[in-house]
Amino acid sequence: MKFLLFASLCSLLALPSSFAATPQEQLALLAAAGNGVIKLNTETYDLLTSPKRTWSASIQLTALDPRRRCGPCKEFNPAWHAVARAWHNVPAATKNEHFFAMLDFDEGPTVFQKLGIASAPIVFNYPAADGPRKPKNGNLSPVKYDFSEGFDATPLASFLSKYTPIDIPYKDPIDWMRWITISIAALGAALLLRFISPIVQNKWSWAVVTVITSLVMTSGYMFTRIRNVPFNGGNGNWIAAGYQNQFGQEVQVVSFIYGLLSFAFLMLILVVPLQSSPQRQRLQVYLWTGVIMIIYSVLISLFRVKNRGYPFKLFL
Amino acid sequence: MSTAYPIPSDISPATVKNTASLLRIVALSLISGAAIASRLFAVINFESIIHEFDPWFNYRATRVLAAKGFYEFWNWFDPTAWYPLGRVVGGTVYPGLMVTSGVIYNILHFLNLPVDIRNVCVLLAPGFSALTAWATYMFTKEMKDESAGLLAAAFIGIVPGYISRSVAGSYDNEAIAIFLLMFTFYCWIKALKQGSALFGTIAAVFYFYMVAAWGGYVFITNMIPLHALVLVLMGRFSDRLYVAYSSWYAIGTLASMQVPFVGFQPVSTSEHMGALGVFGLLQIVAFAQLVRTHVSSQQFQKLLFGSVVAIGVLGFFSFIFLTYKGKIAPWTGRFYSLWDTGYAKKYIPIIASVSEHQPTAWPSFFMDLQFLIFLFPAGVVLCFRELRDEHLFVIIYAVMASYFAGVMVRLMLTLTPVVCVASAVALSTLLDTYIDPTEPVADDDTRSEADSTVTSNGSSAPSKKAKKAAAAAVSAPSKGPLSDLVAAATGSAHAGTGNITTGIFGLDSRGVVVLNVVFMLMFFVFHCTWVTSNAYSSPSVVLASTNPDGSQHIIDDFREAYYWLRQNTPQDAVVMSWWDYGYQIAGMADRPTLVDNNTWNNTHIATVGKAMSSSEEVAYPILRKHDVDYVLVIFGGLIGYSGDDINKFLWMVRIAQGVWPEEIQEPNYFTSQGEYRIDDRASQTMKDSLMYKMSYYRFNELFGGNPGTDRVRQQQVPKEGPTLDYLDEAFTSENWIVSLFPSLSYLAPHHFFRSTSDASNCICSRNSDSDFVSMSLLVLPRW
Repeated sequence: MKFLLFASLCSLLALPSSFAATPQEQLALLAAAGNGVIKLNTETYDLLTSPKRTWSASIQLTALDPRRRCGPCKEFNPAWHAVARAWHNVPAATKNEHFFAMLDFDEGPTVFQKLGIASAPIVFNYPAADGPRKPKNGNLSPVKYDFSEGFDATPLASFLSKYTPIDIPYKDPIDWMRWITISIAALGAALLLRFISPIVQNKWSWAVVTVITSLVMTSGYMFTRIRNVPFNGGNGNWIAAGYQNQFGQEVQVVSFIYGLLSFAFLMLILVVPLQSSPQRQRLQVYLWTGVIMIIYSVLISLFRVKNRGYPFKLFL
Repeated sequence: MSTAYPIPSDISPATVKNTASLLRIVALSLISGAAIASRLFAVINFESIIHEFDPWFNYRATRVLAAKGFYEFWNWFDPTAWYPLGRVVGGTVYPGLMVTSGVIYNILHFLNLPVDIRNVCVLLAPGFSALTAWATYMFTKEMKDESAGLLAAAFIGIVPGYISRSVAGSYDNEAIAIFLLMFTFYCWIKALKQGSALFGTIAAVFYFYMVAAWGGYVFITNMIPLHALVLVLMGRFSDRLYVAYSSWYAIGTLASMQVPFVGFQPVSTSEHMGALGVFGLLQIVAFAQLVRTHVSSQQFQKLLFGSVVAIGVLGFFSFIFLTYKGKIAPWTGRFYSLWDTGYAKKYIPIIASVSEHQPTAWPSFFMDLQFLIFLFPAGVVLCFRELRDEHLFVIIYAVMASYFAGVMVRLMLTLTPVVCVASAVALSTLLDTYIDPTEPVADDDTRSEADSTVTSNGSSAPSKKAKKAAAAAVSAPSKGPLSDLVAAATGSAHAGTGNITTGIFGLDSRGVVVLNVVFMLMFFVFHCTWVTSNAYSSPSVVLASTNPDGSQHIIDDFREAYYWLRQNTPQDAVVMSWWDYGYQIAGMADRPTLVDNNTWNNTHIATVGKAMSSSEEVAYPILRKHDVDYVLVIFGGLIGYSGDDINKFLWMVRIAQGVWPEEIQEPNYFTSQGEYRIDDRASQTMKDSLMYKMSYYRFNELFGGNPGTDRVRQQQVPKEGPTLDYLDEAFTSENWIVSLFPSLSYLAPHHFFRSTSDASNCICSRNSDSDFVSMSLLVLPRW
């Protein structure tokens, strides 16, 4: 008891004592002190990744200092801590087989230099280099985590579970706020239904929804959603180069153009014949025909920007 | 009644009717001719050849069918595909396409017309496009009238969105499927309108044909029930609906289960559960209707309503329960990825890797549909104006298909018909209005001024017209165009009797609009012709490029290499390549392949991916275990062919990583800055990989020992080229697109054809700065 107290005192002072315990126990104490995550510096990094390690380790290399202005680092950090805390809850025997650690750039710039890392955050998974958990194929080089699935905790936990002795018991926290919002919204909709039922039962409200949906979809909205493209390219540049690419703003512009052209045709079909005065009618015919010609030309010239091999053009 | 232009009055109505129907027949046959002719660019520019990837398999299967008969085809086990596993072809294909061409072939031979089976296959898609135009005509006729039908037929005949899948030589399931889709929908609408069990049965028969022909039949399986469901929810349940749906569903489902590849799916998978559920719902609703006509008690009707709802809820929960217990298969991955768009990339990279499964950017929509894309919403609004049962179908179809087309490029094909129909409705309504010679009676300006004040006040008015306007004003109490629009939309203005008050005055207004429409239609024709000839008519087996002097240069490397394989290797030499080329190797070289475009076995594909992305030492045992004699690599760096294996390499890595995450890791193939490079700065793993080594093996020799430039990546390869220890080069095609590497254990005929001089004088338009041209050259593996 006394020894434990002493050791934890040492770890609290962030002095990795070399005489009292084995490295694994030291690391366990450090992890306990950091609520599951070992805050590394250059020395503890070497200790954790020593070539004789019988444990495995997952290390987050990050730069959280505001001066470094690393947005993704801040975004990813909570997920890392959540997964580490989940691992901290497994039984002590297995817990100390695998450590979670993080190294801030300002704590150990030399490590970053040594690893040749210029960007953050990065997650390395070090397999055990010795002992029973040494990988059978003998590949000891660290495995890098691929952030292609975003900064969420769930994919991270499932990736790291492949390297831990048992699966990380990570579960997404239940998003109570979201469920409460949804149920309130559903309740509200049910109550509102009495008042808005004339709107729901009116076919024109459905027509508006239908037309807007198809306009937005045919302007490449799903492309922007799936590819996560930026809204625009900055510096007033809102047209993405390339035929198979587009920015978010293009969806708005193109769907507006389509909508305006459709509207002009609808005016010609539905409204113009109702005019009882020949002069007003003539004016409207020329107006809407002109709108169609001009906007169509704009559309074609926009398309020529995207597809430079297109040989046709209208007035513009 | 005054007219804007003189019309002859001494023609009998019978003559008018006969002339109109004759003109319609002539127009339809001309449209068919145009539809077929515009698809022949590929044959004229190149030759009568099967295109791309999947068609090669279909062609091979059709040859078996034509040569050995139906039963041999049905029981065909192909030991050369998926070596060493083999493939049961009869049970894993949609046989509709092959059977169709087999029947045509046999009929022609019965008539003593000795047509080659290849020509039947090449010309099947253009032939069916003429039928599609006719089916679209029939469908649109049900929506509006014959003139709209003719416009829709003309649109679908030449619209690039459909041509892209049906040029001559594109011998794929879609070639016949769109005709079947449109005709099934036509029969369904007809059955619904007439309450006809006969048309319901015809719809079911064509549905069966569709099931036998294309996996996209699921679209019909869900569209028709959705339409029926919406009708029921809107309180439009009728006996007609009941008869039409029940006859279609019962016969169609039983028939579709006869296709071995489909089997019991219609009663056991989620994709088909909607149809089953709506079938059950219709029975319940019909029963409730029946009881209601016999029972008058209020309480009983309430009870009935409650029990209907209860049964519905119960059925829904039992469906969820069965899914949960595994009795009903959940959505298949390919289908599921339509709803959860991030799903495929995470769990099934092999689906995400196919370029047809990428989302669609707006230029693709415009390219494929041109001015139809903005007429289409106008047509949908016109459908809302009338909103008969069949119009609802178009509306639902429009929403669903525009979503699907946005998610996946290949589903543009299902959007195209509804766009043609809706925009034909819009355009023909416009033309009807502006060609109609009837002159309305003009009000003078003061009257109309008075009318509009009355309108805004909403008080009672003396004239008939003002009353109508007032009626409109009640629903939208605003003045000006908006209230006019509402009036037009709600149709109150159409109740005019006596003096005609709606219409167009004068010839010039008519002329402007009609000329504008004619001009847009002509532009559409030019656009379609240009797109078809430039973008969609490349067989992708044979590539064309333009020499500096403008003449055409044909690059025929694929066939060169496949014929080399065919003539210089033993019949059982196993060829390993990435799966895109499996069908072509089987079709043209007739050699066993490890993987092909069927992609049914992900692990096998990942094995090939692993071999390609590992170092030679790791890859060699894999090659030996699979008896690989030759490795085929596609490399476009010399001439700028962007669809080569180095550009697909990351997908090989990703798919291999999915199975062996310990050994293959995607980040290792990037530089430390996260770039994908092939030059000096490429990562060591990249430089060691078999694919990299094979691609750039002896590349520098072409440049006299200086570092060569890769024209696709625009990078210089390292001065020190890669060396191969276990493999050797057997054959490299003229433009270096295809290289073959035999394993060393095999006594390789060292046969080099390399025209080193070609490096400088082949300047390909494919690599020019125009993004569009290189797009047309992307190799599109399709399934």
